[in-house]
Amino acid sequence: MLEGTIINQLQHVGLQKLSALAGITHSLLGPNKKYKFIQDDMSGDSALVCSCFRIFQNVELTCAVGQLVYETIQAHQNVYHTGSGCLLFLAGAWGRAALECLQRGISVSHIILAMSEGMDICLDVCSKCSISTEGLGEAQSGRCAVTPHGLELQLSKKPIMEASQASSLHHGTTEVGLKTLTTSAQRKIKLSRHFCEAKSENFTNLSQLSQTKLPDIAHIAEGLSHGSTDAMNLAVKVSYVQSKDSDFNFEITKVVTCVLPGLQEEHACVVPGCIVLLSDEQASVAHHLKEQHLKIALITGDLTNSYRHLGFSRPVGIKRVCDQAALLLSSKEEEWIVKVVALLLNLEVNVILVSGLVSEKMIQHCSRHHILVVEKVRASVVKTLADATGAVPVTYATQLSKQCVGTGVTVMIWRDFSNHETKSSVAVNISTHGHSGLVTVILTSCVEGKLQALEDQFWACAYRLHHALKDRALLPGAGVTELLCIHHLQKQAEHHAKHCTKRKGDTVQQTRPGTATNHYRGAVLQLMADGLLDYICTIMVNTGRFSKVEAWTGVHQQLQDCNGHPAKFSQPFPKGEKEESAFSSPMESDEAAGVKIYDNLSVKQEAWRKALDVVFLVLQTDAEVITGIDQKTDTAQENLMLL
Amino acid sequence: MSRLVRKSPSVCTDLPLDNPDVCAKLRLLKELLGSCFGPTGRLKQIHNNIGGHVVTTSTSSVLLSTISSSQPFINMIKTSILNHVCRFSDGGLFAAILCLALIEQTKRSALGASVAVKVNKRLLGLCITYLQREDCGCKVNLDFCSTQNLIILARSIISSKPACVLTDPETLHISKLAVQAFLLAIPCGNPGIVTLGRTVIVSVEGHSVLHSAVFPGLLVDTTDVSCISKTDKLHSTPLSIVLFSASLAGDLPDLGNGTIEVHPGADTDSQILDELLELGKQVVKDEVKLFVCQKVIHPLLHQYLRNHGVIVIERLGITLMEPMVQLTGAQPVATLHTAIPAKAYGKVGDLSIMQFGSKTMLHLIPAGESAICTMVLCHRNETMLNELKVVCQKTEHVLRLTLREPSALLGGGCTETHLAAYIRHKSMNEVTHAASVLGCSQTDFLLGMEGFCRSLESVATTLQHGGESSLIDLTHAHHWTLAADVMKEPIEDSLGVCGCGVVQSSPGKKWTHLNTQHADISPAPLSRDTTLQPCVLDSFPVKLNALQVAVETANLALDVRYIIQDVN
Repeated sequence: MLEGTIINQLQHVGLQKLSALAGITHSLLGPNKKYKFIQDDMSGDSALVCSCFRIFQNVELTCAVGQLVYETIQAHQNVYHTGSGCLLFLAGAWGRAALECLQRGISVSHIILAMSEGMDICLDVCSKCSISTEGLGEAQSGRCAVTPHGLELQLSKKPIMEASQASSLHHGTTEVGLKTLTTSAQRKIKLSRHFCEAKSENFTNLSQLSQTKLPDIAHIAEGLSHGSTDAMNLAVKVSYVQSKDSDFNFEITKVVTCVLPGLQEEHACVVPGCIVLLSDEQASVAHHLKEQHLKIALITGDLTNSYRHLGFSRPVGIKRVCDQAALLLSSKEEEWIVKVVALLLNLEVNVILVSGLVSEKMIQHCSRHHILVVEKVRASVVKTLADATGAVPVTYATQLSKQCVGTGVTVMIWRDFSNHETKSSVAVNISTHGHSGLVTVILTSCVEGKLQALEDQFWACAYRLHHALKDRALLPGAGVTELLCIHHLQKQAEHHAKHCTKRKGDTVQQTRPGTATNHYRGAVLQLMADGLLDYICTIMVNTGRFSKVEAWTGVHQQLQDCNGHPAKFSQPFPKGEKEESAFSSPMESDEAAGVKIYDNLSVKQEAWRKALDVVFLVLQTDAEVITGIDQKTDTAQENLMLL
Repeated sequence: MSRLVRKSPSVCTDLPLDNPDVCAKLRLLKELLGSCFGPTGRLKQIHNNIGGHVVTTSTSSVLLSTISSSQPFINMIKTSILNHVCRFSDGGLFAAILCLALIEQTKRSALGASVAVKVNKRLLGLCITYLQREDCGCKVNLDFCSTQNLIILARSIISSKPACVLTDPETLHISKLAVQAFLLAIPCGNPGIVTLGRTVIVSVEGHSVLHSAVFPGLLVDTTDVSCISKTDKLHSTPLSIVLFSASLAGDLPDLGNGTIEVHPGADTDSQILDELLELGKQVVKDEVKLFVCQKVIHPLLHQYLRNHGVIVIERLGITLMEPMVQLTGAQPVATLHTAIPAKAYGKVGDLSIMQFGSKTMLHLIPAGESAICTMVLCHRNETMLNELKVVCQKTEHVLRLTLREPSALLGGGCTETHLAAYIRHKSMNEVTHAASVLGCSQTDFLLGMEGFCRSLESVATTLQHGGESSLIDLTHAHHWTLAADVMKEPIEDSLGVCGCGVVQSSPGKKWTHLNTQHADISPAPLSRDTTLQPCVLDSFPVKLNALQVAVETANLALDVRYIIQDVN
């Protein structure tokens, strides 16, 4: 995949590859993302991707650096679900910085020492300028007042706000609970037919509420949407549905997504309960069961006769000898089905959710007895429903007993797509009476290839919100944090330079060889700052409103202007769709940028640290050891030394 | 129908060391391993030609076990080094570099192989005798009354693996943990034969290194926390535990190649399940509170036990079985077809839940005294964590070796330069005697001696990777590093302390570059009143063995006349 890049063999090859890999995702940074097509020339397959992580998933990685980067991104994505682009960009930018250092003759150990120090400076800036989520949005005017020298964003109103905030919050929640409950009651009738109308009504209601009653989540979400307004609105709605009558604001483990191709994107919505798509046959069972209090059983394995739990090894070498005509295998299955169905009927189970697969025959049998069977249910749904209904998940259906069966489940036909002639054509909502917090997000698109990206976007937004609530802190977004870091790195670099010149005349201090004063510290810190500068500028260019030159001069201007008052940084670019001038003077900026943009504290810190870790690993590497080469056939390759 | 293929004749290589292909490969191996050496060593990315996981490392055990050469000569050296690492954990790169340097020096000096072998052997003997002497100038006695030197020893090993990407405070933290784990694994209060305990390493990805910790007892992964939280605070008396090494998955044991004939009506699965439940009943009757199985437990048995308030741990894994036995005193039950004998039950003092990032673990605290402890290692990413895990295992092993031989050698290249200076001085004094004993000319002996000493010194030089130069002082013959970009005069201003940190630069001192000819010096012993403590220490037994392995392997390599290779 690096074929298009020219690698200079005289320089560190690994770092150049890292920088080239990072280049792939430049256009995916920032709020205005462009889709990319990845096409496989061999098979003709293609994929539509919109995130750094998906690109790497769909691309064949041939080099060791690529593999290392992919593993890092994967690890980050699995935990944070956002920030991979930032990780990769900075890995590339700091990789280039390291390359530049090497060219200036700075030794690897000095680079690592200075860059680690630079990272400490940046992380320190992050923790100092982080904003507590408590009281955010209400204390808008007082929040961003900054102390003249310390750069800490002052939270002067916080202590006073907290007490009143807490009570108003509580008050707010209950009210919201009531209101949303009524809307959802309306929707029950309306949604089946006037899908679109009900949704928009619902939405305005919610957004109105969000501005008045629960300012924190809505405000935070707005600032964290980073251009994906629709996806973030869904996440906010999830939080409303969940906070209706439970004490949690936002529980990401209880959220599931359900994608419906063929509908316009505006039809995306949030529904309490678990929406599953069923075939016509099962839908008739659902019709039969609707508006009833049902009993539920949960099965974590497959619901088939031949299924055995994980770790069970099937016997080999068993010979069946018999004196009569052999029983057919199918009849054996038949026997098992009859047994299981009898057990289910005896336990009066109406709904079975199965994590694994269910045989066609079993579904038919159950349907005949009005038992709704749903297969391929997510583990998180099984767990949530187990908690909410008292059901105990079991591996085999034969394990089921009275204690394992849960109660209080209702099944509703949520939407009928029968005329769309798809296989799974009826969407059924399985929910509990007691509020389980389980919420389904319906994502729709006419373009099927886009669904994956929409789903990713939703999860990115949901996780941003989740991390914000978990961290209880946010960073000023839209490049402000990066600007502060640049400022501090540059200040340290200058300070170091002065320090050095002053020292020159003095007697030399005793130092150990390993820890000798790092003469290059200033230069390395400056290059690190340039990496962050590059990041801000790239995002600005990606918004489409700045040329590269404008972006550079703009940011430099900001840095210069603020040199007198280092704390006064305005957001160099609004990440949303707002059209304010990006470079308003610091005085005006607070007013001008109506929307405050935020970044996640832990996500950013972790992405930066991981980026630097990758750089360190690659920087210190001087050789690739390739195993499994056939010495007779593969010797033609260049730069290959055989052992 | 089988087809007959004519066998190709064996390939015979005469004088392999004169073969350009072998020489090129030896050089490559030396470069590959030499560039990994020391705290500023370079890393290697190991990956398969087809793709897949990439390992980043500079550890000899990981690196050498993945590479294999088409040249048996290279593989011979590799195997010999790996054997050393297998027994002593550390010092693999040292042995490899010294061995390859010895071969190279001998080839360059054009000395006859047999003479070189004899000289090397004699000088090795000299080295060993000197190192084992009480007044050896590069040896430090380890004092178990203080952990300081143990921590320095651990830190020297940990900091020599840059793929761990640790900052100074992190290195110190891990070093302290390693020493703590080492001390916890020594049982106290038991007179007579002492058996060392075990340290189990658990790795947690995505956390700061500073969150790493050591706990007495065992930490075991659990999937099901809910059942434990209920019984959390009940325990005042030791809990009874049963440990199974047999699979309780309910499947038939492996029959090998044999077959069983069964009646079609017979349901083997349910029959085994009945036996399993019978087992469960007995366990519940015997008031067992903790049910542990090395392998899988049948869900039905699992459910039965859980319903009766028994905490179940399955898929423990073979590596945790032995520590579990040592901790609880339980005897692993290997069959499910007989009743469990009463003496098979073990005891656990207490249980608690521990949360490390995404991992939930059950902490088993021993009932009595036990030398089992668990080291939880955290790091930000998998690559670094894997290397850290390997390094910690090595450190533990090296620390244990100090119990047998409570001394350490000065690190940072100082032992090598000091030893080389000693050998030079000693041989100069006895050159006539040595030459007559070995039956060679005095020039040949001096040539061989020079090669041996240069090889030792080249190991110290290999520590440098950034263009720095290596110096030696003419009083103690310690190793000094001069940064590449230092132009300042006088030289003592740019040198702080020597490689191991014991000798300090002072105006009266004289230095010379390592690879230059210098006057014969008798390395002076360190002054007793020095306030400086060594900051880099190497394990004594490890280095002693590595030295022997290196010289003996080099001698063997020099002795090889023919390589006969069957290429079929």
